Amino acid sequence: MFAAQLALNALALGSAYALVAIGFVLVLNATTAVNFAHGESVVAGGFAAVAIAGLLPAGIPGIVLLPGVLVVTALLGLIIAGVAYLPIRSRPPVSVFVTTIAFGIIVTNGLNAVFGAAPRTAPALVGSGAVEFLGVTVSLQSLAIIATAALLIGALAFVLQRTQLGRQFRACSQDPEMARALGIRLVRITLLGFALGTAFAGAAGLLLAHQFFVSPSDGGILILKAYIAVVIGGWGSLRGASVGALLIAVFEVGVASVSSQPVAEAMLYIAVLLVLFVRPEGVFGEPQRVRA
Amino acid sequence: MTTPGLQIEGLTVRHGAVTAVSNASLSAAPGEVTCLLGMNGAGKSSLLRAIIGLAASDGAIAVSGRDISQMATEHRIRAGIAYVPEGRRVFPGLTVAENLLVAGPARNADRQERLATVFELFPQLAQRPADRAWQLSGGQQQMLAIGRALMARPDIYLLDEPTLGLSPRVIDDVAESLARLVQTGAAVLVAEQNAGFAAHVADRTILIQTGRIVAPSGAA
Repeated sequence: MFAAQLALNALALGSAYALVAIGFVLVLNATTAVNFAHGESVVAGGFAAVAIAGLLPAGIPGIVLLPGVLVVTALLGLIIAGVAYLPIRSRPPVSVFVTTIAFGIIVTNGLNAVFGAAPRTAPALVGSGAVEFLGVTVSLQSLAIIATAALLIGALAFVLQRTQLGRQFRACSQDPEMARALGIRLVRITLLGFALGTAFAGAAGLLLAHQFFVSPSDGGILILKAYIAVVIGGWGSLRGASVGALLIAVFEVGVASVSSQPVAEAMLYIAVLLVLFVRPEGVFGEPQRVRA
Repeated sequence: MTTPGLQIEGLTVRHGAVTAVSNASLSAAPGEVTCLLGMNGAGKSSLLRAIIGLAASDGAIAVSGRDISQMATEHRIRAGIAYVPEGRRVFPGLTVAENLLVAGPARNADRQERLATVFELFPQLAQRPADRAWQLSGGQQQMLAIGRALMARPDIYLLDEPTLGLSPRVIDDVAESLARLVQTGAAVLVAEQNAGFAAHVADRTILIQTGRIVAPSGAA
């Protein structure tokens, strides 16, 4: 029963991490650039939830905040694209590293100035409490996190696989110049990638902010985890990033259950170094498949 | 009165300090295959890329008399040009059907109708709609690249070395595909270094050497 409990906790944490990692890959695929302000976007989502909840009657369930958080963070994504990516997209990638890092620092300091440095908490998604299922006690918050993440990931999969916009997005991520030669507007796809990717980060911020709190300086650790998930899952793979995120959560929850959170974190980074040493393309990454 | 097809006047393409195409003038008429014949590095690809807007250029480019030289690539596509690049460049992770649909029009019903037409023209593709493009042979990928261009129903097709790396039997299939494009009433401009293929398919042949048009010709 304890193992089942742990597995469910890991699945809930992994679901939130998966949203962070998927958001990271969406921007990566739309631009081939790494958005180093992505961790701060997760934090911004958490604080957006705190702020919106403050405007609504007390005791409102956190799930009600989701549309507002998605809109606010999607707009933040458009601002990141407009300020830190589009004006310098033809310059070497290191320029985008610097501008997005700078943007992240601005977000951190801005949140610090408005909300203060102390950790804050957002409302529980559907209220506190637990349900008993097959002898396992499951917290409602964990179930709500898993369900919300599954809904968002399912909606994204539908858009990417079944719509013309999704096909255009995937074409751009595979060969941007050829996509352009077909008449696809790359700037539109770039903006879509930033808006969707940052909205996913923001949703993760809402999901994490109740149980794990949110503070302005959390961005660094969150982007590191997204980066690790992408490295494990294979660079640019949305499915791989989700699996990588779940593995990180399983690892963290599992190791922390027999030792402590700091030991789990340290072990995670050692494991990632080993993965990179043995399989530089990631656990699920595949070499480019091109047939002559 | 407007001239149908593609007209190019005084086109110059530079890559930094290197002039890839110098003051080129040519035209491609509807219902004809015009072959731009030249060796490797002659400037054929640069010229086609300049027409589609992927390479910066000076000079006049007109489609049915309408100047497109200042337009962004997406507007040139809408003006009626489709491009089949060297090396096919199909999207390897997309399925055959997705590779075609992505190049189709905004309305879903129109896309599906054009997809059916392309599958009719290329039965080999129709047999593998759900296969990823990277799983196709080189010849099938070339068919897919041509089919993808067809999805836009353009007035002008630009094909860059469509026979490169293909077996003689597959080259015959490509020649047949070009004949189908011409039957739609479109102008077809093909960049080639394979003189035999050019002689086989071209209504007109234009020779290009070190970035200069050296021999426009009449009927082949």
